[in-house]
Amino acid sequence: MSDAAVLAHADDSHGSAEAHVEHATATGIDTKKLVMWLFLASDCMFFGTLISTHLVYRKVYPYGSNEKGVIDIIKTFDIQLTSFSTFILLMSSFLMALAVSAMHKGQIKSFRRACIGVMIFGLIFLTGQVYEFTHFFDGHAVYTFSVRTAAGESISSTYEGPADQTRAKADLARRLFRDHPDWLAVPTTANAADKALAPAAQLARHPDWIVPAMKQVKVEKPSLSMQNSVFGSTFFLMTGTHGCHVAIGVLWLASMYLYSFTGRMQKNMHGAAIDIEICGLYWHFVDIVWIVIFTAVYLVEYIPGYNPVQ
Amino acid sequence: MSATAHPLSQAELLDQENKRYHAFINLALFLSVFTGVEIVVIFLPFPPAVLFTTLITVSVIKFFCVILWFMHLIYDAPLLIILFVAGLVLAAGTMVALLNLMARSDVDPGILHDSSLVIRATPADQIMNGFTVV
Repeated sequence: MSDAAVLAHADDSHGSAEAHVEHATATGIDTKKLVMWLFLASDCMFFGTLISTHLVYRKVYPYGSNEKGVIDIIKTFDIQLTSFSTFILLMSSFLMALAVSAMHKGQIKSFRRACIGVMIFGLIFLTGQVYEFTHFFDGHAVYTFSVRTAAGESISSTYEGPADQTRAKADLARRLFRDHPDWLAVPTTANAADKALAPAAQLARHPDWIVPAMKQVKVEKPSLSMQNSVFGSTFFLMTGTHGCHVAIGVLWLASMYLYSFTGRMQKNMHGAAIDIEICGLYWHFVDIVWIVIFTAVYLVEYIPGYNPVQ
Repeated sequence: MSATAHPLSQAELLDQENKRYHAFINLALFLSVFTGVEIVVIFLPFPPAVLFTTLITVSVIKFFCVILWFMHLIYDAPLLIILFVAGLVLAAGTMVALLNLMARSDVDPGILHDSSLVIRATPADQIMNGFTVV
């Protein structure tokens, strides 16, 4: 213990100064912090490969797919929402810096307030991402159907919603059934189990029994999925991995927040401050990765000439 | 914080953290403004090369501001900067190398459904490669 340095830190919640022993390291850097920076350097390379893959395929496939019209990137993106998410994540980084600063000053209550703020901002970011992914996946369509019903009548109807013809057909079937329940025609070839169902259940399982044929006229914005395009594959993989990092960060912060109530932090304020600082490093790293993704993936799409569909 | 040879007194520590607190507030405002600039600039009628350069510059500035101040790299030991920059250089190097190595001509024409597609060099190509991809 001869090479140990003794540091004293005040504890605001108890008003007393507690001494503890900190081991000196050969580098002069706390080992936990050093390992965290090494991890971040490796994570840098991890995200580097994901972003590189996206950019390379973006360059190789100018339409984001091997044929034109499968996806429409500009119409799919919602730059206002993404900008808001970016702002939220930057502000969460600011709060995280305040949380770390509060811990270094030994102010646990301030730390808790900032920590709650970071978690809320992180959850807002994740909510935005889930909303974004759902809408990207669904796409958007305005279908004008020319329908010949099972009762033999021809009608025309417009449906606006997710770019999913099956869903649109089911929705139209429900509307028709609500107005004309007698139009539901159970085929003679239907099996006994289906025939025994209530009409509404029959319709849910077989929209064809009221809408046997329809014609799709217009799709405003095609859906974006991992299966339908190269752009979708690389985009969802990269932003999804980032989202997982954010979720892990929120869980980590939640655990630190709860830990602050156990009283163990107060016994070793310096050690606790280092732990929070490491958590903060991770959170800031998630933020800087998003800074790169926001520019390299979202904003560049709006530059004239980058996207040939634009 | 990490150097144990000269531990700071409580008063020095508080003074140091208070100074950082103001730096963090200024930086948060600065980052907000820069993000706003990024969003506005893409809708302005500037040449693509100017837009690319602006976006990359602003992004790099934001990136380094966060790692230097929010991540305390400017206050910490230089070894940490070396460690992180090593990872960063490898990641950026991989990105630049792949973007230069891969071209549309590497794609099997058999899988391209739109044979009449004329590939224009993107502004990124012009900046990074200095040649036009056909």
